[in-house]
Amino acid sequence: MENFQPEILALCCNYCAFAAADLAGSMRLTYPPNVKVVRLNCSGKLDILYVLRAFEKGADGVFVAG
Amino acid sequence: MIVGEQKPIEEILLMIEQYKKIMVVGCGTCVAICYAGGEKEVGVLSSMIRLARNQTDSKIEVVERTVLRQCEEEYVKEIENDLDGIEAVVSIACGAGIQLTAEIYEDIPTYPGLNTTFIGYVKEQGVWAENCGSCGNCVLGFTAGICPVARCSKSIFNGPCGGSQDGVCEIGKDVPCAWQLIYDRLKKQGRLENIEKLSPYKDWTTNRDGGPRKIEREDMKK
Repeated sequence: MENFQPEILALCCNYCAFAAADLAGSMRLTYPPNVKVVRLNCSGKLDILYVLRAFEKGADGVFVAG
Repeated sequence: MIVGEQKPIEEILLMIEQYKKIMVVGCGTCVAICYAGGEKEVGVLSSMIRLARNQTDSKIEVVERTVLRQCEEEYVKEIENDLDGIEAVVSIACGAGIQLTAEIYEDIPTYPGLNTTFIGYVKEQGVWAENCGSCGNCVLGFTAGICPVARCSKSIFNGPCGGSQDGVCEIGKDVPCAWQLIYDRLKKQGRLENIEKLSPYKDWTTNRDGGPRKIEREDMKK
């Protein structure tokens, strides 16, 4: 467990969190590669099925930002 | 609409523990409207089943299907071609839908994933209330559109009873006395005399006294 690196799915709102992630990229800031970012048109678009599907596909955690 | 509630996931998992490939079948009508057995709920339940079984050594394949109405044969037959290798069906339709599926696919065990609860309507977002007892002899014309069978806790026909206080039923503070509601609305409409047109006792022969009910209409038969 010591070397366990969780796979995290980040579901980001287009208008805030995703824009922030984009800006972070422009600023050459880095984040761990085990965080996978998926853009949502709005975090209000989040559906329980997205979260369940993420876990089914092997995510260890789902991070919703909006 | 027919209102239902999904069974606890633990109960569903126990019913299907011996199977390796199942189908979850939803219904796109009443139970879809009350967010209990429609296409979305089929997706969520199937996903939860797969996740739960992934935690064990016995993985499961879950096929997801939703038909428009599971209480009509032609719609239930739509899943016929997808049943190859399916060991069991979990239906999240109402009791009628589950039974029709079980009847059409007699060789495959069908399990209920939903508890059919009552006939009712949406009171507010997320709240459903029972308001029809399907007694087979409607009296709403005399009772200002308020059903004493479904909405009076005792289903009495000569209420309100002694348990009614300040318009509230004795069984709970959030249960309005149906007979108080009937009285108030009839009075508002100026037709209180309607109360006297009701028989103090109801003829229940149209209910279930004669066993399972059936309607046959010659004009609709082939």
